[in-house]
Amino acid sequence: MDASFLDLLMAQQEEVTEAEGGGGIWVVADVVNGAVAPVTLEAIGAARNLAGALGAYVYAVLLGDGVSDLAATLYQAGADGVRVADHPALASFAVEPYLEVLVDLFQAEGPEVILFGATPQGQELAPRVAQRLGGGLIEHATAMTLDEATRTVQAAVPIYGGEYFEIVACPQARPQVLTVEPGAFPAPFMDPYRKGEPKSIEVAPVEPRVRVLGPAGDFTPPSVPLAQAPVIVAAGRQAGDFGLVEKLAAALGGRVAGDRGARDAGWIGPEQIIDVRGVTVAPKVYVAVGIRGDTFHNAAIENSRFILAIHPDPTAPIFRVADLCIEADPREVLPALLQALGA
Amino acid sequence: MRIIVILGRVLDPRGIVVNPRAGRIFVNREEYILQPADRCALEAALRIKEAVGAEVVALPRTLLPDDDVLRQALATGADRAVYIAGQPAALPDDGLMARVLLAAIERLGGADLILTGATTMDTGQGQLGPRLAEALGWPQIVGAWTAEVADGRVRAVRQDGGSFVWVEAPLPAVVTFVPGALKPRYPDGRRLINIYKGVGEIAAALERWEAKDLVAPEALTPMLERRGQDFPPERERGVRLSGTPEEMARAAADALRARLPR
Repeated sequence: MDASFLDLLMAQQEEVTEAEGGGGIWVVADVVNGAVAPVTLEAIGAARNLAGALGAYVYAVLLGDGVSDLAATLYQAGADGVRVADHPALASFAVEPYLEVLVDLFQAEGPEVILFGATPQGQELAPRVAQRLGGGLIEHATAMTLDEATRTVQAAVPIYGGEYFEIVACPQARPQVLTVEPGAFPAPFMDPYRKGEPKSIEVAPVEPRVRVLGPAGDFTPPSVPLAQAPVIVAAGRQAGDFGLVEKLAAALGGRVAGDRGARDAGWIGPEQIIDVRGVTVAPKVYVAVGIRGDTFHNAAIENSRFILAIHPDPTAPIFRVADLCIEADPREVLPALLQALGA
Repeated sequence: MRIIVILGRVLDPRGIVVNPRAGRIFVNREEYILQPADRCALEAALRIKEAVGAEVVALPRTLLPDDDVLRQALATGADRAVYIAGQPAALPDDGLMARVLLAAIERLGGADLILTGATTMDTGQGQLGPRLAEALGWPQIVGAWTAEVADGRVRAVRQDGGSFVWVEAPLPAVVTFVPGALKPRYPDGRRLINIYKGVGEIAAALERWEAKDLVAPEALTPMLERRGQDFPPERERGVRLSGTPEEMARAAADALRARLPR
């Protein structure tokens, strides 16, 4: 049998139709390497949840060159309507050309809520759209609820990178513009039978004022001290092959460090010892490879956001502070981990 | 040439402890520091001043209860600072502040370049620079690592994916800096003492304006409203993976990918 009963039933579903009369929740799509960015799909999923409570439709805006085919993905993710601005002038992101298209569109449609991804593109466009339309902007939303009485979106925004969250709203200013943190919302169910007819937008080319001159080959960013590094891969006596530790650090974009055992083995310098008597760290990700974890070491890493520990001894004290523990020889796990990370 | 640098302050995170179980934030040491990204913007302004000559004017990012941030800017090398007095909002409100700053910039007689941070350390806000650029109709360079001015144009290095590119915009323009972009200099000790003692020319460089004189009272209504706080779930430590090394590695790789900074 080619198609199941469910497939046949789903295929009868009608095309998505749009409401007249403006309003609605609008999602501005991010296109990365010719595909819709995951954050856009997550934003559409989040918009659908709001739309249910708000009694509104979800629309998506797609800008770029040769992007018309991507409209189908946006319908599948849950958009009720898609607007496409497909023009060679929009081939690469620049503020002014994108901004003019969006502002013209939103002035005509009068959206209630506008969502952008909290990506470089979204963070440049969202404040300018909000400023031009007189709207309020909440950045880096990680959760959204609706105050139904006033039709106001309340969003949680991370403070100090997620130590805690403030719940904020823009009760007066309309439209309500938000940028959505990538990965904060679940990806929506992609319904392959959900289809619609996108509408294209007329694009009047605008010359961008910021010109890209070319690669800055001569520029090297200032080095970050180990204490402020966001990712650290540290080796201990049981690390086995230090070359693999260095490869893992490179794959994660992190810095190499170690405990006193790694210093004794001659793998690291004295300035790389993580210990309350050496460097105290608080990275977003800390990987302890073959570190047993004495009191001095564990106290120096306790403010790390996420700790992965790999050690062969199940009673190693490092496992008491680590979030994720692998009881195995690092020599067996590291090659597999590098492979799984695509390094 | 006039460069306006917009500076804010942030509660030093080393002085606070967040207890998710109690749902409380304990402030053990209430000490404020300059927003790291704004500090880079100040450094960039001073470097441009040294290279091509300019007047550097410091303005506050939020309505502040005191003018420490601006005194620090003056001690570091700014020529002039304007303390805008007003009722500080519960949360930094860039939408409101953009209105106040626009009026302040107009009263100053305009500017050729506005520099500020691309993001704040606490709330992660990055809208002030682009909002000002939009209101003034100027181009913006967001997330610069370094900047220089020549021939009526500003050139900056910006990150583009994994690499760095030079970008250029005509003046006047707004440029925002990422935290850690430049190594900031320290304030000059003697200037700092003179400012706090109110001695010499440098002390006279700090002016005080009232926010209510700059904009209409209704423009001082905050755009953002605080509705509560939330705390992340408490960490579950010591979760042990099981299976073959390959299976454990895959699970660990997924966990790492989800937590790596973007």
